[in-house]
This record gives sequence, structure tokens and C-alpha cells, in this order.
Amino acid sequence: MRPREERLRAGGIEVQAWVGGRGAPLLVLHGAGGNRGWRRWMDLVSERYTVWAPTHPGFGGSGDAEWMEGIDDLARFHLWLIDAAGLGRPHLLGHSIGGWTAAEMAAMSPGAIDRLVLVAPTGLKPEKGEIFDIFYHSPQELRDLTVHDPKTVPEWDELFGTPPTPAELQIAERNREMTARLTWKPYMHNPRLARFLPRVSNPALVVWGRDDRIVPVECGEQYRSALPNARLTVLERCGHLPPIEQPEAFARLVLDFLGGVA
Amino acid sequence: MKLYYFSEMPHHEYPDEEGGKYPSLRLAFPNRFFDRAKAAANYRRYLEEYEFADQVGYDGLMINEHHSTPSCVNVGANMTAAVLARTTSRAKLLLLGNILPIEDNPVRMAEQIAMADLMSGGRVLSGFVRGVGVEQWWANANPVHNRERFEECHDLILKCWTEPGPFRWEGKHYHFRHVNPWCLPLQQPHPPIWIPGTASPETAVWAGQRGYTYVPFLVPFDIARELFEHYRQGAAEVGRTVTPDNLGFLICAVTADTKEKALEAGRHFVWRMGPTLRGPIEWFSPVGMRSRAGNQFALKARPRSLASMSYDELLAEHFIIAGTPDEVAEGFALVQRALGVGHLLLEAQESRMDHPTTMRSIELMGAKVIPAMARL
Repeated sequence: MRPREERLRAGGIEVQAWVGGRGAPLLVLHGAGGNRGWRRWMDLVSERYTVWAPTHPGFGGSGDAEWMEGIDDLARFHLWLIDAAGLGRPHLLGHSIGGWTAAEMAAMSPGAIDRLVLVAPTGLKPEKGEIFDIFYHSPQELRDLTVHDPKTVPEWDELFGTPPTPAELQIAERNREMTARLTWKPYMHNPRLARFLPRVSNPALVVWGRDDRIVPVECGEQYRSALPNARLTVLERCGHLPPIEQPEAFARLVLDFLGGVA
Repeated sequence: MKLYYFSEMPHHEYPDEEGGKYPSLRLAFPNRFFDRAKAAANYRRYLEEYEFADQVGYDGLMINEHHSTPSCVNVGANMTAAVLARTTSRAKLLLLGNILPIEDNPVRMAEQIAMADLMSGGRVLSGFVRGVGVEQWWANANPVHNRERFEECHDLILKCWTEPGPFRWEGKHYHFRHVNPWCLPLQQPHPPIWIPGTASPETAVWAGQRGYTYVPFLVPFDIARELFEHYRQGAAEVGRTVTPDNLGFLICAVTADTKEKALEAGRHFVWRMGPTLRGPIEWFSPVGMRSRAGNQFALKARPRSLASMSYDELLAEHFIIAGTPDEVAEGFALVQRALGVGHLLLEAQESRMDHPTTMRSIELMGAKVIPAMARL
């Protein structure tokens, strides 16, 4: 299904979004790497759901939001965007910092969303490990650590196969800068979030890669136990990017969960 | 032209091959290589050298501050200023400077600088710096706020010094409801403010608008001229006239009784240019710390990193000046003619440059070079 590109507005900020599919709306929030466009897993999921994949303010081709200081600001923005775009009560799926954002949104306004999918979300401080410091390392080092094995990633060449153009480098830098604005301190987590997660009784699916070297899989356990109605699925031979690393398996998990099959 | 003596108070008391095992001497080189006894001895030595520089007639003593690095264990510029306020008597105390973006309490900063000014009889020149990225990491301060915090911290310090308290400050990064410092600088309205520059055109414009003394550090002459041009633009915007007193420049320098001895001593500066600046770009210039314009200028400003230059090249480009007193005087005069600066800051010590060599260099500068420079 061919997606269309839209410009959405909320709070005086215009954001770029990919929209496609049919069925109930599914809002998809991307991670620190930015909006990677219409990916294979979205194609599969959009058979039954209308995927709305906006680019966060301050990222990619979306408007600036230099006043934002934390993921809670981004969460409020996306709650507003749900209203502004007329999405009703969408399912919500977020990856990495987008997952953290989704968790904050659910905690702020559980009635505003239907089902919740958190994919390797940051947001909680691991008890044993550490969330990898993405700003302390080069984008190159980070890319190599992000996935379990580049050779098994079907869309690797399409996503990373050619050296980035100057324009793409500028966007990558902008994405990093906005991520720093939102997540610098406390680094990649909200010490108070766990207190609010018990409010979220929405059915929730937490997905993690067993070999996630960015956000330890123990955080998946933390989310699962803090959310009253959540289950955790850990994918083997998978790193921090399940939707990209295992698009078919990931799409199947999401479809089954949203459809209430599992 | 006025001369300033500067030591980074380095701690080069470890085997170089150990330092080479880590991605950088900053942040990553483990502090188990920190030698407490030698550090204690170093402070005694470095302070003595500063005190001697005051006695021989240096116009000023420059003090800086860095963290988490053996290249500079002067971890508190204001502490050093307090010591030198008591142990020196005539030279200006050039703090270059306090790292504003990582400071959480500008009111305390304003008080401490005022205290140093009072204790020194009004000798403080108060430099404010944005710091290198390493300091952002050390303080865990968000680099995207570096410039905003620099400016707001500066504004609050200035207000502390120039407007009667009590007052309230509700800014973006700083919030104080009852500001009324009972410690104000001796110099009125406040100590002169100095700003260093390496690559940021915005900083040069900002300093020019305010008439602050602006000092590029270790950049090629043509880059310094370009930065001064930005400074002049800023000054012109507000109708200020720029004089040599507004402009300075920093180089490394050492003198000795013979050219051979001076060149041997000057070789120690290569450590400062190379190994101490080695490290990932993410550590020295973390995301968002520089504007895009600043990033582009930085690329141009350092077409070749100092680390990639040989000792001979560093000498040829005047990053280092080493020679007999007559030769260094000639070199300094060349800098003065090239840049029109009124202040020349000499990084004049490097840890493995031994104490007698350092002291002799200070002595010869005082006897022969400083008087010659005063006539320029």
C-alpha cells in the first residue's frame, strides 16, 4: 500500500508524517535515529491498520521546537497531535525514545489511546545495566551496536548501504541535537515514570531484542511489571531495532496483539 | 604590548605509553595514574613560578580551568586567584577563565570573583569562557544549552555586580528569588571582562558588541584576523571603537640563554598540542555545542589539527616561539605587527619543562623581553 506524505499541525508546529493503510489508526513514534520512512513492517501492518508515522518536532523535515526540554513535552505534543489530526483513540506504538514518549502519553492520558506497543523503549533506569550513551560515541559506532547483525537486516542496504549525502548528514545532526535536548539529563529516563505506569491498564505489548546493546532487556521486565496489563516478547538474534531487523516477525506480533488474537 | 604568564598546571607524571592506550587523555585516562604526592609538589612549584613571574614584571598572570584531564589540573580558577591574590602584589590576575555554561550558581560565581578582586586589591581581569566539550561531560551539562547558559550566566553575574540587590532573577536556565550578594568587586563598575576565542564567530561578535577584550587561542594569523573582523563588526554595530587594548592573542613561548636550550625546552609544548587534544570529536565538541556557522568556521580555522603538525611546523607558524630573549622579542613583535594586539598571553610552562628552565625563562623574559614589549 502506497503511503502519502502529509503535513500535520499542532501547537503551532508543523510536522511531516507518512500516512498509509486502512482500518483503525495506529500512531507510530520513531526513535532517536529519526523517521526512517515507510518501512517493510509498516507495509504489512497497514493491511489492517492506518499507520500514522509523524516525524517528531525538531527532527527531519518537521518544524523546530527548541523550547522543548524533555520527553514529557514531546508526549504532550503528540497527545495534542492525536486531537489535531482527528485520530480519535488510536493504537499507539513507539520505538526507543518514541516508546518512552508513548509510555508517558499513556500515563498522562490512558483514555486517549487504545492499545499500546512499546518497542525497546527508554524511559526507565535499568537496575543492573546502563542505557548506552549515544552522545558519547560516534554515529558510526552507534550504528554498529544498534543491530544484532547487519547481514540479517533485510532493509540494511536501502537504509545504510550508501554514504549519507550532506543533506542527510545535516538531518542526522539535527536529530541528534533534538534528542540531546529531550534526553540529556537524567539520561534517557524519567525517575518518576514508573510511579505513573500502574495507571495504564490499556492492553500493552512490550517488544525487545535479546541482544539489545543500547537499552538493556531488563528494562523490558521493568515495563512489563510496572504496567498492569502488559506482556513482554523478547525476539532472539535481535538488537535494538526489532521493526527493521525482523520486519515480518515484528509485524506479525503487532497484528496479533492489536487484533486481540494474543 | 603587555605580556601575561600562563601555566596550565599540567600533571604529566605518568608513562606516556599508558596515556596512549586510551581514546583520550581527557575523560577516559583513569585517575589511578594521578600521583598525589607529585601533584602536591607540582602545585607548590607552579605557584612559585607564577609568583616569580609577578616579581620579574609580567603584566599579568593568566589562570585557566579544565577538568578530568592531566593537561590541566588547575580545577578551580577562583581558588588559584585567591592564592595569588595574597602571594603576588602587582600583576593582574587574568582568569581566562571561569566556564560559565557549566556553572549552576552564577551568584556564587559573582561573589567568588568579587572576593578575589577585593583580596587582590582590584587586580582581577575576569575572563568568561564557554569551555570545551569535555567540561560539558564533566559537569553533565547539556551541550545544546552551552551558548544560552553562557549568556544568561554572564548576564546574571553582571547584574550582581552592577545593580543593587535584592532583586529576583527568573531566567530560562537560572532561577534565584532573592539575589543580594554581600561581596562586590573592588573595581567599578566591575573587573574588565575578557573572552577567548578559537572558532566561534558569534562569540567574537558578542564580545565586540560589549567591548570586552577578545583573545584568540592558538589559531593561524589569518584566522585570528578573521575573528577580529567579526569582533570589529560587533563593535561597529554599537558604535564602539576598537583599540589594541581590546585585542589579545595566545601562543606558547619559552626563552633561554641560548637558542639551543630554548628550542629544547620549547619541544615540551608539543605534548600540549598533540596528545592532550587527542580524542573523539563527540567529547571535544558534543552535539549541539556549536552552531552550524561555528562548526563550519571551526573546520576552516583548523585546516590542520595542531596534533598533526611537527615541532618545526609549530615554530614556523608561530604557535610556539622559542629562542634567546632577543629572538622571542622579535617573534612577539612580529605577532604584534601581524595582529595589532595589545596583549600577548604566553603559555610559558609545560610540565616536563623542568623548574630551573621555567624559572630562567621567566627571569629572562622579565629582564629583557617585557621591557622591550612595553615600548611597542
